[in-house]
Amino acid sequence: MSDDAQKPVNPFAAWQQLLRERLYLLISNLHPMLRADVERAFQERGKLLFDPPDNSASDVSRPAGSWPLLTLLIAQHISPDIDTTFAASVAIATECFVCALDLLDDVEDEDQTLIISEIGRARALNISTTLLALAQQAILSSAQQGIDTKYILRLLDILQQSTLVATGGQHRDLLAEQRAASDLTREECIEIAAAKAGSIIRLACLFGAICANASEAECMELAEMGELLGIAHQLDNDSHDLYYLIQSKNASSGLPAERSVKSDLARGKKTLPIVLAAKSRKPLQEQGEISDEEKQGYLLALNEGIMTTWGISLLYRERAHERLRVISSRRSLAPELRLLLGFE
Amino acid sequence: MEERVIQDFVHRVSTDEVLRKELVSDPDSVIMREGFSPRVARVVSRLAPHLTLDEPGKSDSWWYF
Repeated sequence: MSDDAQKPVNPFAAWQQLLRERLYLLISNLHPMLRADVERAFQERGKLLFDPPDNSASDVSRPAGSWPLLTLLIAQHISPDIDTTFAASVAIATECFVCALDLLDDVEDEDQTLIISEIGRARALNISTTLLALAQQAILSSAQQGIDTKYILRLLDILQQSTLVATGGQHRDLLAEQRAASDLTREECIEIAAAKAGSIIRLACLFGAICANASEAECMELAEMGELLGIAHQLDNDSHDLYYLIQSKNASSGLPAERSVKSDLARGKKTLPIVLAAKSRKPLQEQGEISDEEKQGYLLALNEGIMTTWGISLLYRERAHERLRVISSRRSLAPELRLLLGFE
Repeated sequence: MEERVIQDFVHRVSTDEVLRKELVSDPDSVIMREGFSPRVARVVSRLAPHLTLDEPGKSDSWWYF
């Protein structure tokens, strides 16, 4: 049996190829040194130029370029005969926007991700600025394809609004680091998740709907579904990240779990499970000398926070699924779009 | 508010050993008795086996934020 026979079929391959061609065209006029770093940013996990290390087709439900694929497939869902060059250009704007915000997030959170360690913070910030300009350029370039300026203006308006909402959410998140976890509320955490993660999937869905000339009602439904899905994914990430952190520290570090969690909390991140736990127990970093019993009590509170957060993420997923049922009642969804949305 | 209902239910399962055992042996009866909305009932059905194990189920999330 050949290696090829063992690889799973990638149902997104043709769309990914189309998107990569549009991306390379968009960045072709950049200075070669700048272009090299921009390309590097698109090679991060999940991005359009991501190449799985084992050269396999990777997980077919987690394709490279999932963000622009979402915009493109929604556009084709609304209007199967859509001009794919236009839809692909708008989809590339989505990819540039998400990539720009991801880089800013890495720098602002002081995360030592692979790309930050390779190119440093200063170049990462410059690449982020470049990507935000490229997102606008990708939309504006549609004018050369004869696209009506009313679509272009609307897309640019959505891009600006989404940028302001996402940066507003990020700012609240950064300021929350200076507050006691017990001061924050569940509602605030969900609002921040909606502004940060919700606004991004909302934009990806809305871009697809607008460039396909969807009705206002369809635009609203898709935007709402995207926002709900974004919140669900953010809360899912928050609950699992903390759960695996506690588990991994318990299993392999040799450090007491409470000490490991404390070191992570020292960064000051106020995710929902931490905020919920703080309602019943004072976080370890806010305590002085404490007994083993008190430490154990805090870990139990964290675990309850993790399970509650996961439950609330499932609730938002249910709400998103309900919107999707309404959307697909008008016209059935392509299997690839269902797969991409995680409802296959 | 559904978020609050889920939060309260998880807290009760965490602190009430009798409810916890009942959730293991007969989750459907517990869910029916609690009078959840259909949406919350679907969530709790998915949540219940993991609540008794104290670990969340497999992550559905694959979007990289």
